[in-house]
Amino acid sequence: MTHYIKRITQYTMGNFRFNVKIKELVSIKETTKLEMEDFMKKILVAILAIVLLFALAACSESEETTAPVTLEIRSNIPGAGNDAIREVIAAFTEETGIAVDFDNPSGYEDLMRTRMATGDMPDLFTTHGWAVIRYGTFLRPLNDQPWVSRVSSQIESIVTDHQGNLMVLPVDIDIAGLVFNRDILNEVGVDPGDIRTWDDFADACELILAAGYIPIFIGGADDWMLGQAADWIPPSLLITYDGDNHRDALLDGTFDWNHYGRFVDMLTDWIDRGFFNEDVTTADYDTLTRMLGQGEVAFSFTGNHAAMDAAGNGPANIGMMPLPAYFAGDTPSLIAGESVTFGIWKDTPHEAEALLFLEFIARPENVAKIAQARGNVAGFNGVEVDLGFLTQDFNRWSNIRTFPYFDRVYLPGGMWEDLCNTSLGLFNGTMTRQAVIDHMQQSYDSRLADWFEARGIN
Amino acid sequence: MRSRKRINLFYIPVLILFGVFVVYPFIDGIRISFTNWNGFLPTYNYIGLTNYINMVSDQWFHNVFRNTIIYGFGSTIIQQIIGLSMALFLDSKFKARGLVRTISYLPIMIAPLIMGYIIFFIVQFRGGALNDLVGLFGMDRLDWVGVPNRAVTVILLVNSLQYMGVSMVIYLAGLQNIPNMYKEAASVDGIGPWNTFWHITLPLLAPALSASVVINLIGGLKLFDIIRALSPAAPSSGTHSLVTFLTYQYFNIEQAGYSAAIGVVTFAFILIVSIVVIKLLDKMEVVL
Amino acid sequence: MRKKSWWRYLVSLPILFVYLTPFYILLTVALKHPHDASSRWVMPGYLYLGSFETAINSGRIIQGIQDSFIVTMFTVTLIVIIGAMAAYPLARRISSLNKFVRILIMGVMMIPPLSIIVPLYRTMLFFDAMSTYHGVILLQLTYQLPLAIFIFTSFIRSLTPALDEAAAIDGCGLLRTFFSIIFPQLRPVIVTVVILTGVTAWNDYQFSLYFLQSPQISSVTLAVSRFFAQVNSNIGAAAASAVLGVLPLVVLFLFLQKYFIKGMVDSAVK
Repeated sequence: MTHYIKRITQYTMGNFRFNVKIKELVSIKETTKLEMEDFMKKILVAILAIVLLFALAACSESEETTAPVTLEIRSNIPGAGNDAIREVIAAFTEETGIAVDFDNPSGYEDLMRTRMATGDMPDLFTTHGWAVIRYGTFLRPLNDQPWVSRVSSQIESIVTDHQGNLMVLPVDIDIAGLVFNRDILNEVGVDPGDIRTWDDFADACELILAAGYIPIFIGGADDWMLGQAADWIPPSLLITYDGDNHRDALLDGTFDWNHYGRFVDMLTDWIDRGFFNEDVTTADYDTLTRMLGQGEVAFSFTGNHAAMDAAGNGPANIGMMPLPAYFAGDTPSLIAGESVTFGIWKDTPHEAEALLFLEFIARPENVAKIAQARGNVAGFNGVEVDLGFLTQDFNRWSNIRTFPYFDRVYLPGGMWEDLCNTSLGLFNGTMTRQAVIDHMQQSYDSRLADWFEARGIN
Repeated sequence: MRSRKRINLFYIPVLILFGVFVVYPFIDGIRISFTNWNGFLPTYNYIGLTNYINMVSDQWFHNVFRNTIIYGFGSTIIQQIIGLSMALFLDSKFKARGLVRTISYLPIMIAPLIMGYIIFFIVQFRGGALNDLVGLFGMDRLDWVGVPNRAVTVILLVNSLQYMGVSMVIYLAGLQNIPNMYKEAASVDGIGPWNTFWHITLPLLAPALSASVVINLIGGLKLFDIIRALSPAAPSSGTHSLVTFLTYQYFNIEQAGYSAAIGVVTFAFILIVSIVVIKLLDKMEVVL
Repeated sequence: MRKKSWWRYLVSLPILFVYLTPFYILLTVALKHPHDASSRWVMPGYLYLGSFETAINSGRIIQGIQDSFIVTMFTVTLIVIIGAMAAYPLARRISSLNKFVRILIMGVMMIPPLSIIVPLYRTMLFFDAMSTYHGVILLQLTYQLPLAIFIFTSFIRSLTPALDEAAAIDGCGLLRTFFSIIFPQLRPVIVTVVILTGVTAWNDYQFSLYFLQSPQISSVTLAVSRFFAQVNSNIGAAAASAVLGVLPLVVLFLFLQKYFIKGMVDSAVK
């Protein structure tokens, strides 16, 4: 609030001066020709002055913060995870006396793009899956930090670039599969451990549909949910099976997107069989967690946060299970990726304080607090997290293989939106199988050059 | 007024603003449209006409172009028909007249974005007010904005009805400027109400019609907020207009060069359409 | 006459229904408890203001209203001064140069600013005007000036030039002539310009969406959209924030509707 008032006064002062000038000018008693010219000059000066004053106001604002050290930290983490982060930050300020300006603004990605374009990044920020490719050039490598040896190997490779630089501090690991409603699966007599292939999954969906429930719910109004389905199913078709996969082709730019047709066919088949909610393109995340929690929906392609939120929204028993395989000889898999990660802007004026903050957050109790709120395992060895009702699932699936997010490793940056866009097109009928394939191929090809550069390949 | 050429200095501030925020960006935009800039990295290459050539084969570009025309001309037509009917209806005196006029003008005060959100409460599949009504009549509920063509229709209707008041008020003013003696003369001569409207009222409303058409057309072609409120960000929703599509290209998929090229085309398209329509309307006014 | 007007009331009913429904639904959603799953057509039978509390306590909507207020005030003031000044020569001096300027201004009125969003974004970054009051004000000013100039020009034309010519003969400077003779006569049309540009500035979304990227500065539409776009959205609070966001203009309109409607006519009928 005080900051606000300060800005208002700054602002009005600038204009006040201008207004006085106008008044002075207007009240000139005898205007001669000479004065007239003078006036026009002054008007021009005044307009330029406004522009300058505005610019000055903007500059002085940013200078204000230099006196006592204030770390600017920005995050994209919503909900319970955000609350936990705020608690940790409050404790940090209390212990060190370093003030923190923290916010988790909506439209985080757009905001960060702007700030990358201006070359003015927050001192610390979360990287939502893009620690290496998008934000890599803006981050300070952290290999020299005392806590590095404790980072879990499961996440370390994901946040390390091709030169071996660890880009961020990974608080927890997002290990995800399908979120499901245990009550419904029990009712139709299906054990999640028996769903080993997508065919098994489709059979289960038929039973669920016959029992009067919605087998799979997608809330496409928040179109990341459409993207998530297109991000989590294709690995089983293209990546996970050692006997038949396209890992190398995807990475070296020779991938033929006709192979993606397998995914399109599967999705189309499910749509035709009525496995999805009727309002795929207009429902939202809120509706998903409510219907999941109240026992109307069986499966969703969402992270464990949806399980947490659904459990808070109704009486249903919620669980998490691996993603089925596509090939008969393959086995189910889980997706692993960045969850809460903090990186330091390489040009930050407060490097020492920022490093101090990372040391603070790396303490086992702080890691545990944030990871628990997210329903995730910790990104550090030796940190036990109480995962509540998900514990049994995590224990049950502890031997399942994990794979990284499809788009973060196997697709050039920017193609996430193509996954959302093409899935939406399949659901609302605006795109045919061939149109999807062509769209993906074209987008993939056009982004290869930038992608190779980011990965250090010539 | 001979020696007063210096009076022109009065519009210098405006020209400076236009120079900085319209002309310079426009020229810069043309330059960017020849590059493959991704919008935030400092480096890019010039790729000639590639962005413009891609536009020709981009099915989404065709779709948004079609939608823009529907939004622009569709709302103009709907608004003229309903606006003129409303004006004729409200031209004669009755007690509730003021109330009806006020209420039908009220939506103009609402930000179109917020209006879009309110409409979502009505057209939502689960819990939407419209589906409650549909259910009352025993019909199946519909996902009103879930299917492209239906969503385009909903957006078109929302925009048309929200800004119908603009046309209504302009026509009302036009009607009140028509001297009563014309109508009286017509009724004395035994000309029916339909012929009176067609041959006397309508020609006299020509200037109001021009003004209303131009305002509605420009508004419809620029449509942005309602689409943002009622559609997902991805263009395969089939509802995008040129302006929502080009912001998607820039901010969501990092194709600033392509976005700039679409911007140039949009700029030219809307300018040409507006000029042609204004010229046609001028001609029409002369003929009538 | 009296007997025949019953059908007018009959026709008025569906019109009122269509135009009042959005407002009614917005209110029922805002006043309902989040766990109340009854139809949106039904007003809750209890008083629940929790959604409004949530909306206000989050601080966003209040900040949005304050910021929109500041931006609107400055935009409108500058538009009136700069617009009226620019209209003066355009109305009084007919030359080919001024004809060209008029066409340029008309052109700016037609084009959507979003069509040059990519370079405009660069320009704003260059001037360091991102997420600042002056940045949005200058943009709104630029893109709303054409309408104001258009209205002012037609009005000044309708004023007799005798007065300002007399002033010139008396040796009055141009500026003084303008501010002491022309400007006071513009009063009725200034109301029009203030209303039209004020409503647009208050309701702006496209500029605030792309050029206000910092949590320290917001706008009404941005604040409301944040409630709607939130993961785990609370639709009651979102509706309540929308009610608060539209209330100022709706109230102003209901009190000053005569001017609003006149303003609309002035802008259209030359």
